[in-house]
Parts: sequence; C-alpha cells; structure tokens
Amino acid sequence: MLENYLPILVFLVLGLLFGVGPILMGYMLGPSRPDSAKLSPYECGFEAFEDSRMKFDVRFYLIAILFIIFDLEIAFMFPWAIVLGDLGAYGFWAMFVFLAILVVGFAYEWKKGAMEWE
Amino acid sequence: MLEAIQSALSFLPDGLVTLLIILLKIFALLLPLLGAVAYLTLAERKVIGYIQIRIGPNRVGPRGLLQPIADAVKLLFKETILPTNANLFLFILGPILTIGPAMAAWAVVPFDDGLVIADIDASLLYILAMTSLGVYGIIIAGWASNSKYAFLGALRSAAQIVSYEIAMGFALVGVLLAAGSLNLGEIVTAQQGSVVQWFMWPLLPLFLIYFISGLAETNRAPFDVAEGESEIVAGFHVEYSAMTFSVFFLAEYANIILISLLTSAMFLGGWLSPFEGILPESMLTGGALGLLLGSGIHWLLLKTAFFMFLFLWIRATYPRYRYDQIMRLGWKVFIPITIVWLLVVAAMVVGNVGPWFD
Amino acid sequence: MEQTIFYIFSTVLVLSAGAVITVRNPVFAALFLVLAFFTSAAIWILLEAEFLALTLVLVYVGAVMVLFLFVVMMLDINLTVLREGFARYLPVGLLVAIIMVAQLAYIVGPARFGLDKFPAPEPHGADYSNTREIGLVLYTEYLFAFELAAVILVVAIVAAIALTLRKRVKTNFMKPEEQVLVKSKDRVRLVKMAAEKRDDQQAPND
Repeated sequence: MLENYLPILVFLVLGLLFGVGPILMGYMLGPSRPDSAKLSPYECGFEAFEDSRMKFDVRFYLIAILFIIFDLEIAFMFPWAIVLGDLGAYGFWAMFVFLAILVVGFAYEWKKGAMEWE
Repeated sequence: MLEAIQSALSFLPDGLVTLLIILLKIFALLLPLLGAVAYLTLAERKVIGYIQIRIGPNRVGPRGLLQPIADAVKLLFKETILPTNANLFLFILGPILTIGPAMAAWAVVPFDDGLVIADIDASLLYILAMTSLGVYGIIIAGWASNSKYAFLGALRSAAQIVSYEIAMGFALVGVLLAAGSLNLGEIVTAQQGSVVQWFMWPLLPLFLIYFISGLAETNRAPFDVAEGESEIVAGFHVEYSAMTFSVFFLAEYANIILISLLTSAMFLGGWLSPFEGILPESMLTGGALGLLLGSGIHWLLLKTAFFMFLFLWIRATYPRYRYDQIMRLGWKVFIPITIVWLLVVAAMVVGNVGPWFD
Repeated sequence: MEQTIFYIFSTVLVLSAGAVITVRNPVFAALFLVLAFFTSAAIWILLEAEFLALTLVLVYVGAVMVLFLFVVMMLDINLTVLREGFARYLPVGLLVAIIMVAQLAYIVGPARFGLDKFPAPEPHGADYSNTREIGLVLYTEYLFAFELAAVILVVAIVAAIALTLRKRVKTNFMKPEEQVLVKSKDRVRLVKMAAEKRDDQQAPND
C-alpha cells in the first residue's frame, strides 16, 4: 500500500514546484520598475481611505460552521457506501436513522432562516 | 517501454531508478495537461467567439493556433507587481497553494485500465481532500493582497466553494454506493456491459448536481461572482500580475479539465466504449476498427472534451447568478435532492434493482 | 526509506506545532496548524491508516481550519490588548498545561504505549481496503456510537445557529413573491370627489 503513495508524495512536491518555478522565472525575466502608484492597492483610482481588513458579516462564519458539520456527515457516509452491499438492509436502516436525525437539524436550520442570504 | 528504461538505467541505485520512473510518468501526464490548459484557453475564446458570431483570435499563427504560446510568452515577460501593503510571503504563497493541490489531484486519475500513476484504494477520497485544499489559495491570496476587492472576492469565493463542496461530496457518495468501491479505476469497470450500465442513468440527479457543483467549485460562469468583473473587478486575484496571475489561471483551467474528466469517468463510463453490448464482440476487439470502436483512452478524452465544451457553452449562454441565489441553490435545492436520492440509490443497491445493481 | 520519510515528516510536524504557539501573527499560527495537520496525515498514511489520514485532510485541513482562518483573518484582533493579561493568566495556564502533560505522559508512557504494545502495522497489498475494514465495524459493532455522532452533529447545528444567527435590520432585499402579488390598489388610492371652489380665490388678472 505504501509504495502506491510514493508517487503522490513526489507529485505533491512537484505540484508545489510548478507554482514556484513560473513565479520565480517571471520575476527574473520581467522588468521591475515599481512606483508608489503602481504598488498601491487597486481602488479604481481613488486613494484607499481605510484599512481593507474590516470586520465581517457573521453569516460567513455560520456558513463555515455548517460546512464543517456537513463535511463530517459526508466523511461518515464514505465507508458506509462501500460496505452497503455487504451489510444489506441492516446497513440501510443504520444510515436511515443517522440521516433522519441530521435532517431534523437541517430542517431547524431551514426554518430558522440560517440559509437565507439577504 | 518502462521496462526498457528501467534496464537502461540499471547502473543507478534502485531507489533512484524508481524515483526517475515516477518523475517520468508524472511529466508524461503534466506536460500534455499543460498543453491542454493552454489550448483550452484558445478553445474558450474561439467557442465563445463563434457563439457570439465573432471569429475569435485569428492573428497569431494559422487561424490563431499559436495564440496561447504568445500569451504565455507575454505573461512571462511582464512585471511581477508586489503591492506595498501586501503581506509578501503570503502573497506569493497564495498561487502556489492553489496550483499544488490542483496538480497533485491528478496523481490518482486513471486514463485506461491500469493506466494510472498512483493506484491507491481511496482515490476518490483523495481527490475530494485535494480539491478541498484549493480554497486556501483563494483565502490567503485575498487576505494577503490587503485590498478591498480582493478581500470581498475571497470571502464570496470561499463561502461559495464550501457550500457546493457539500453537494459534490453527497453526489460522490452516490457514485460509491453504485460502484461499491472508492477506487476510480474500479468505479469505471463497474459500469462495464453497455451504455445502460453507465451510472448516469441510476444517478441522473446526482450526475447533474455534480457537474453544476463543478461549475461552482471552479468559479466558472454562471457562478463567477468571485471574479464578477462588473462588481469587484477581478475578485481575489485583482492585485496579481504576470506569472503570479498565470499560476491562478493555470490552476483554474486544470481544475476544469479535472472536473470534466471525473464526470465522464464516474457517470459516463470513462474509457469504456459506448458501443459495448450493441456491436458484436469481434468488432470491438480485433484490428484497427476494434482499436477505434473498442474501449480505450480516446473515449475518455472524447467524453472529457464534451464536458469541457459544456463549460464554455454554459459560460456563453447564461447570465451570472446573484449571490443569494447561488447560496440558495446550493443549500436549499442541491443538498435536499442529494440526500433523498442517496437513500433511493441505497434502497436500489440493497434491493438489487436491475439492470444496474443485480 | 520509510524511516527517512517518517523522520522528515515528524520533524516538520514538531516544528510547525511549536510555531503555532510561538509566532506572533495569528494568521501564521493558523497556517502552521494547517501544516501540522497535513504532516500528521502523512504520518497516519505511514501507519497504513489511509481512510483516517485522508479524512483528517478533508475535515480538519479542508473544513475546520478554513473556519479558523476566516475568524482569524476577519476578526481584526488587536494583539497588544490580547497580550495585556499575560502575567495574570500565567499561573492558571501553567496549571492546565501541567495537568495535560501529566495526562499525556500517563497514557503515552511506556506502560501503555510502545513498540511492544503497538507494533508497526503489517504492510498490506495494493488491493487492501482500509475504508472497507472501517465500514464493516463502524456500522455494526459501533452502531450506537455512530448514531450518537449524528445527535452530536445536530446539537452542533443548533448551537451554531443560536450563537451566530442575527436578523439583519436594514436590508434592501427583494421578495419576488411579494412583488408579484401586489395589486394596484395596495399602492395607489384613487379618491373620487367633486370639484370644489375655493372661497378666497381671486379673480383672474385682467
């Protein structure tokens, strides 16, 4: 099994080098004539008048938290999908109960309007 | 051929030979991939051009065929701008973290029976894990740029990508249910027999949801609010120029090709020939005709090309969604449909419903 | 070969875990935590725990740390304010740390942990499916724990919504279904009345 992962390790390193290489090459080959206007943040020609790192709508955090929960749910379903053929109807009902409990949470989320983006 | 190379290199230590062979395989995959990315950009401009009754680029080389090369050279000689307010280290790290996983995901993609670089058992899980890393590049790039547009684009993009990843994950679980294996090669071979056996039939809703989520995951039209040039200029990569920008571009197009290829492998039988079970066995195996009509890598590439074309066609056809519509589609439409259909597929698997699961 | 890879990854893991608590910029701390998770996933693969390793990347690196980064990047934390209470909280912090180290030492100590207790896993062939093995026990032997996990996830959903959901007060959000249902009489009131003549009206200029 491990020898199958060796190419992946090599691939990962190579993939990162695929990012580093061109950037380095572009940096060396391209001209470098910076001036303060060029290096200022893009703001349609205006001076930036406040810091861009501002506080943000809490809704984005809510989306991220819900994403974690559903991602976990998917992780739980992966092994089940593989072995369902062996487990048969028993496996089906095991997952049915699991999903039924989670659908309660999903319905709550829906009713509360957590997925509403206004 | 590999054996010949192996024996030619036998004077080197064993470990080095293995490494060299792995590198050789990887380059044999990545170089054509880069070519495909380059020419996908040309195809995009040509296809959208013809859809809008224009000709598209036609100046560089015969019929504009050398355009991607000219573009690449131009980008290479442009100035790399490093904004003063940016966090330099993270600013450079952003594109690198985008392309690394986008390339590494290709390690487990099978092109034909046994034609795969890393034949691991959990290859689908690996691809899902790798694509879930892509969001880092975007968040880091948007934050490190220290520009309002970049920041807004990164936020929108990240929330959108994670929302559609759920629908995508559920659709993948459906494929696993149908195939009973996590290995992409086995998923394709599970669809053997005839066109009817292809998973697009029992998994039709999941198939559509997977492809549409793929559009959203790669930030393509009509889900391209992250770039939305009319609202936030170019989104998270507004401060990027020259090669730092091209690396983002490269990753996005490599992801488009990956999604197209995975869709055809998981739902349309991958390298399997559509004539299986229709034409007599003898026509599919023997001679030159057999090579053409029988199963092989050319079918996979053809199906992939079809989905790539679909990406372009959709871009030229549909107007951009509004952000709240995108979130509603992901959470309130796709997730309920996938959950219901997963149970349907599971019931079909347990009940041995034919012709797919008997 | 395997050992070299193990030592490389564990060095990176230990260094990045140390960096998580020593670097000043919280964004970098979160990114080092990402690196730590990623390298531990690699070490889990060396232990042949393929499914768990990939799930670690998928859930922790791909989801949990994205939330961390979101929060750290967008909260606009003022570092000097955070550091003010350092001396005051130090004794309590130290106490908690000592208890945790003691617990770890108790469990990971030589009595319960070691190569004789947990020998290196047997190398498996390429067709060995770690995921299948997990599936065969998770939904049968550990069914109760599995269903409990669903309940915990629901609690997490409810808690997350209760803590973060706020109705926005001033939005210009359109509700198409309400717009469609609008009749003209909801918007315009037609009043019929006879023409009146004002008493103080002056005669037209002549």
